[in-house]
Order: sequence, then C-alpha cells, then structure tokens
Amino acid sequence: MALLELQNITAGYDKNVILKDLDFQVEKGELVSLLGSSGCGKTTTLRLIAGFSSPMAGKFIFNGKDYTQVPLNKRNFGFVFQSYALFPHMTVFDNVAFGLKMRKMGKDQIQKEVMEMLKTVDLKGFEDRFPKEMSGGQRQRVALARALVIKPDLLLLDEPLSNLDAKLRVKMRVEIRRLQQKFGFTAIYVTHDQEECFAISDKVAIMNHGVIEQMDAPSVIYNHPKTEFIARFVGFENFLDLKKTETKGIYVASNGSRIQVENDKEGDSFKACIRPEDIQIVPGGLQLPNPLEGEIMVSTFLGKRNQYNIRTEVGEFEVSTDQESVYKSGDQVTLSLTPNKIILL
Amino acid sequence: MLEKKTKIYWLFILPGCLFLAFFMLIPLFSLIFKTFFNESGSFSMKNYFSLLESTYFKQVFWRSIRLSLISTFVCAVLGFPTAYYISKYSKNKGILMALAVFPMFTSPVIRSFSWMVILGKKGFVNNFLVSSGLTAKPISLLYNEFSMVVGFIQLFLPLMILSLIGVMDNIQEDLNLAAGSLGASKAASFRYVVLPLSIPGLVTGSVLVFTGCLTAYTTPQLLGGTDTRVLATMIYQQAMSLGDWTQASVVAVVMIVITILVSSGINGVSRKLNPTI
Repeated sequence: MALLELQNITAGYDKNVILKDLDFQVEKGELVSLLGSSGCGKTTTLRLIAGFSSPMAGKFIFNGKDYTQVPLNKRNFGFVFQSYALFPHMTVFDNVAFGLKMRKMGKDQIQKEVMEMLKTVDLKGFEDRFPKEMSGGQRQRVALARALVIKPDLLLLDEPLSNLDAKLRVKMRVEIRRLQQKFGFTAIYVTHDQEECFAISDKVAIMNHGVIEQMDAPSVIYNHPKTEFIARFVGFENFLDLKKTETKGIYVASNGSRIQVENDKEGDSFKACIRPEDIQIVPGGLQLPNPLEGEIMVSTFLGKRNQYNIRTEVGEFEVSTDQESVYKSGDQVTLSLTPNKIILL
Repeated sequence: MLEKKTKIYWLFILPGCLFLAFFMLIPLFSLIFKTFFNESGSFSMKNYFSLLESTYFKQVFWRSIRLSLISTFVCAVLGFPTAYYISKYSKNKGILMALAVFPMFTSPVIRSFSWMVILGKKGFVNNFLVSSGLTAKPISLLYNEFSMVVGFIQLFLPLMILSLIGVMDNIQEDLNLAAGSLGASKAASFRYVVLPLSIPGLVTGSVLVFTGCLTAYTTPQLLGGTDTRVLATMIYQQAMSLGDWTQASVVAVVMIVITILVSSGINGVSRKLNPTI
C-alpha cells in the first residue's frame, strides 16, 4: 500500500477552486516531483500535505491513518521553503535545534544530533552564525538540515533551489538526492524546472489546472507522454492527426500521406507528436521514410543548430537541424519524420 | 562623478538643520547652560542639589516615572494583540488601522474633556456604578493618577499599535508555518518566533509611549489634580506661576536625562531578547 495517498482532494481559497478531485500516491522511499507551470496547483498540493491548509473535500491518508485533520505540528513532516524561512533571530545551531527542542529532547542529545546533521550538510563551524551572515547556498543547507534533523516521516520541498544561481542549483540538487538516498526518506519535491525534476526524481507528476495529467518515471514521461499537454511540456512541438489503415504500422495523415509509425497503439484515430530534432530535412534525390513536402517560412539561427518553421499540407512544423546545410525562407523542402520517434497520444 | 554629486546633496538638509539649530538647539542649550550657575554668576551645581533634595520634587519625579511606566506597560499589553490581529488576520486592514489611529485626529484637549464627561461625578461610569448598585455614591475617578493613566493610554496607544504593526507586517507567515512543521504548537510559535521578532516594534512603541507620557502636558494638566503633578506640569508651574525659570529649566534637564536613560535602557533589554536587532 502507498505510504501517502490523496483521495478526491478538492481545495482552494474562498470560491477559487485550485485542486479538483485530485488523486495522488507516493510509495515509501520514493522522491516524487510535482511539476507544472505557476498556478497549476503544485504548491497548493504540497501545503495541503504539510498541513498548512485543509482541503474542502477529500481525504489524506498517511501510513494507513487519516491525516486530513491532523494539525501541522503533529505530522512530523519536514518542510523546506522556497524562501528558506530560517528564523532570523536564531543562530544556525538554534535553527536546526528548534524541532528537537519542541520534541523536548535532552540538551546533550540535541547538541549531538545538531552537530552531526551540520556535518552531514557540510556546515561544520557555522553553528554560531546568523542566517543573514550566510550565502544563499548555505542557508539552503541550513533549511535542509533543520527539516531533516527531526527525522521526518516525509520531506516536503517547495521549489527549494529556485533562489540559487544555475551552478549552485545543479550542485544542490545532487546534494539533496545524495541525502535522500543516504537516509532513505520519502520526499515530495515541487518545481517548475523540468531538468531539475527529471534529474532528481524517481517519479514525476505533471500537473495542469489542478489535476495530475501523468505520473511516471522521468524517462517514461520524456519518451512516452500520454496527453498533448504533457507532450508540449516535454518538448514535442509538432502535432498531426493520424488515422489507422488496414496495414499494421501504417497511418494516414489528413492530406492522404502515408505515415509509418513504430510505436503502435489501440484505437482508430490519434493525435501524433514528434520533437523538432526528430524531423529531418531531406536533400534532393534521397529516399527517407515518411516524406512531407513543405516550404520554409522562418529560418532561425540558434548557434549550434538551426530552427525552421515549415508549412506543410498537414500543418506547420518546427524542425531543428544541425548546420550541415542551411535553408532560407521560401525554399521548397521535403521533411522526413523518423518512424520510431512519432508518439501516438 | 558620483562623488561630486553627493557633495552637493548635503545642501538639502541645510534648511532643516539651520531651523532646528536656531529655534531648538540654541534656546535649549542656553536654558541648560543657565542651570549650572548660581545667582552671582559662578559655576555651581547648587540648583540641582537643592532640587534633588526637595521632597516635593522627589514625589513629582517618581510619580512621573511610575505613571509613564504603567501607561507604557498597559499600552504594550493592549497594543500587542490588537496589532497582531490587524497585521495577521484582519481582512479590512485599512479600516482597522484608521480606527486605531483615529484618536490622534483630535486634539489632546478635546480628548481630555471627553474623559471628564465619562469619568466625572455625574459621568457615564459613575451613573452606571450607582444605578447598578455597585457603589452607594459616585466614586472619584477624575483628577487623580487613575484618570491621568487612562488619558495617557488613550493618547499613546495608537503609537504602540502602529509601531508593532510595522514590525509584524515584516514577519513572514512562512516562519510560523516552519515552526509549526517542526512541531511547535501555536503558543510555542508565538513564544519563540513572533514575540522575539516583534521586539523591535515593542521597543520603538515603548520609547515613543514612555517619552510621550513623560513629556505630555495637556493630559496631566486637565485630567490630573493639584496634588498629582508630574514633571511637565511642574515645569509650567515653576515657570509661569512662580516665575522661577531656572528651577523650571533644571526640571526640564532632568526630564531630558530620564528620557535618554530609559530609552537606552529599553534598547538594552530588547537586545538581550533578540540579539540580531
């Protein structure tokens, strides 16, 4: 059974419903990311699990118990805030010790546990500093240490790296993953950064308008999106309508072109998608599968690659190619859609 | 380039500084200066020694401090929950803030007169006490220390509330949530997070209220009696009724010194409670 389970959760503020009938499950020891653009409900979901707010309807089951009405200070969940939310009037030591003090742990034990945790997050020697005397990355580690030292049953992270610069972000996400594997804690990680979430998670749940559109391992989401929203989210720019034919693996586009697709699927008509880099522009005379005639509308230089917007009979395509041959707007070209890269939705 | 520019900017503060120097610092220092000389014109601390030995002065001195401290304390106790509510929970913050500072829109004279109406022998409070049988005849609520403290509190509570709201608005809600997620009850979050972080506002408010009470003139003059004089009314009495300007100046100097001492004392205490101020 899942460690954490949200059942038919509806939540929002006043009359503004943000989550509608949300179902969500996390297994013990997993790091699950909630990914989505701002306003999709990911932070609301996380705060609900933390106990910062309660749902309008639905149930939150944790470890087999109904946690829906359990107050936040009785949940034993660690929370890492986007703003870090370190207590500005306390030293690093007191910040990390706070949760243990609330648990009425003995002074010696607190001393021992805090120092050990500070060592784990590489902040030994910083215990007497105040948060304002530290850098963003260091504060982030204090926030992590403070949430982890209470040995939480669940760690919740709300865009914890969004205030750091790009380099530090990569370093810290490796660090979080290392700690998660070291302690084996279950974690839910909210982010809008696709790369970050793919790099860190066991599973990714992509949210849109208050529902989870797809929850799978990062590689599954990346290669086999289930909906058009997910496909667009993970970089599929080109969509076309396909109908099944009598022949297995052969589909027909709206203009009658026969398109060969390797990943077959049950059903009759589909929306299919393909990434810009999986379409080739065919030099004259060469025979490649799935040809489509088109005209270059816009040619954009992107450094390593060139991007073309190409009009065809079945719609506009975005194609990304290397610099071997360059086309300009107005050129008539033939496109080739790589058969094993076409995904049926 | 930048340095050249900043050199010009000090001119901006010049008019204000000149104004203060001519109309405040010079008269003030000439007053203070005079207190250190005796009638024959030679330097002497006689004025101070004779004042400090006077039982009347000692009475007035301690009464002033006591009433100011009581008023400050009550303002803090009343102001804290009010400010906390307005800052964190209210939906009509603007309206509540306006209501909180509303007393400041009228003059202390009008406010003191209102208290006379309320606290007088035939006032609203005594009418209630007598008609409800709680007391046989009207009790004296006016022209004593009680009515002065009531007047002070009404006069200066807005300052306490405003100072506290200013600081509380800057306490991130996430800090409370963080404390809660770490196992702190609402009371513990308040004790360990909200209270220490509100200290700067409490300090500013207390200094404003204390110095306000200590130096207030209208309220003690109108709501206090002849046997409950405070430093401010004593200065007036010395200068205007008795024509003793030197004595009045000595009291004024004492008042300034207390204000400075108490303000820095409150600052010191607050630093102990919140070392990051």
